[in-house]
Amino acid sequence: MRRTHLAALFCAAVAVGPQNSVSAAEQLSQTTTSSIRANASSQTAKIVHSAQAFIDSLDETQRGKLTFEFGDKEQRARWSNLPIRMAERRGLRMGDLTEVQQSAVMALLSVALSKMGYEKVVGIVDSDEALKNSSRGGGPAFGRAEFYVSFLGKPSEKMPWMFQFGGHHLALNVTILGENGVLTPSLIAVQPARFTLDGRTVRPLGRETDKAFELVHSLTEAQRTQAVLGFQMRDLVLGPGHDGESIQPEGIQASALNQQQQQLLLELVAEWSGIIHDAAAAAKMSDIKANLKDVWFAWAGPMEQPGTAYFRVQGPSVVIEYAPQRLGGDVTQHIHTMYRDPTNDYGKKLLGQ
Amino acid sequence: MKQLALIALVLALLVPARAHRLDEYLQATRITVESDSIDLIIDLTPGVAIAQHLLRLIKFDGDGRISGKEKEAYSQRVLSQLRLDLDGKQQSITLLAATFPSLQQLKTGEGTIRIKAIAKFPALVIGTHEIVFVNNHLPTFSVYLVNALVPRNKAIHIVRQRRDELQKEYHLTFEVLPPPP
Repeated sequence: MRRTHLAALFCAAVAVGPQNSVSAAEQLSQTTTSSIRANASSQTAKIVHSAQAFIDSLDETQRGKLTFEFGDKEQRARWSNLPIRMAERRGLRMGDLTEVQQSAVMALLSVALSKMGYEKVVGIVDSDEALKNSSRGGGPAFGRAEFYVSFLGKPSEKMPWMFQFGGHHLALNVTILGENGVLTPSLIAVQPARFTLDGRTVRPLGRETDKAFELVHSLTEAQRTQAVLGFQMRDLVLGPGHDGESIQPEGIQASALNQQQQQLLLELVAEWSGIIHDAAAAAKMSDIKANLKDVWFAWAGPMEQPGTAYFRVQGPSVVIEYAPQRLGGDVTQHIHTMYRDPTNDYGKKLLGQ
Repeated sequence: MKQLALIALVLALLVPARAHRLDEYLQATRITVESDSIDLIIDLTPGVAIAQHLLRLIKFDGDGRISGKEKEAYSQRVLSQLRLDLDGKQQSITLLAATFPSLQQLKTGEGTIRIKAIAKFPALVIGTHEIVFVNNHLPTFSVYLVNALVPRNKAIHIVRQRRDELQKEYHLTFEVLPPPP
């Protein structure tokens, strides 16, 4: 019964998502509006309200399992691309919640994320269900029930707190401090990358892939000699377990791109920066735009679709990696991506750390 | 040949388990340059199909755990198969620390060994320098990543990174800058 409700919740996600959200591309044009701050403040109030509603739906034992100290470094870093059986998560498991509680988690995600971000997350969870169904003999380590939610600190409009939602191929770390919302570090991955649900083809990371190809195809031969790395990249460099590391940027600098190419680069970045709710995403995009000349784009691998290539976008306040995985099976069906801000992972800049 | 046949057999049995590394040994190195040292962090993630081969290399004695001696011996073996040159001169690499996952994690392709090491040398003079790093550990099974971390020392400026196609060989050109006036 619970699984049926969970399936309905995720499948109906597009319909229940926030109605006033905008696409990643539209967010790009909003970053200069003066309403960003006011929108962010009111969105924080909605997030806190939804978080509290979820807490109120829990019993005492569940609350104890849900909540950690804000400064709990172990819980903060307890996320992975691996399935639950291989890498422990703590908090509350979706499959153990009542229908009302599951709906409350989804309501929290729908206000903390943009419409685009919410749909992406639901697509990733749905793909894990598809993986479970296609696995030989099924598998308890995959599927919609195997995602966890946890809180670090107490939901507040003024004091810092964070919530985590994740499981296999997904780790959202959302830090809230006043009007500010921070989504880094987050792992956004998918397997299968293309699947059929209710008769339609779903590609949770399809736009990321297509936009990256559009950008790399827009480069001139001279630009490609800078952007395309002459070696293979077999995995993420800054995946789970690499908090606090900053690698030397490589590839081509955005200052060497023309205006149209820079726009393509920003639209690509917005697929990650735009996962969080629109006001926080607009603030983040404004920051990235301000430092655009110091953002780098690097590509490793073939330039033909379907994509098996790795790419990285790296700037002063953003690192995005995209790495198809060679772990058996179709490489194009198994993608790991990482979204970081070396200056503000877990909100450390906001916290003065 | 016998090892490759065994790996092929293990792979055939494990293909449905697609969440972890199978037939590759991922060796990911991060390099931090200081004016008088080079820090190495090497993450080694063996795929499930080569775990038994790796445990033989570690000389695991089958007592259910990897002992401190076994960990150190394997770490030293890895370091002995690295080559690190600074300005054309081979550097001695010293093991600082090594952390190992559980035996079970290693056997199932879910664990990462992390080795920290350092090469020390007299303080570098102002100017351009080059590091060459070559990883010769288990080339038959391995895939490599190698990257310079952004230097902590503001006097160190990374100029260029070059690698061969497999990232087995890595060249890092950097400058030691004069102190600000």
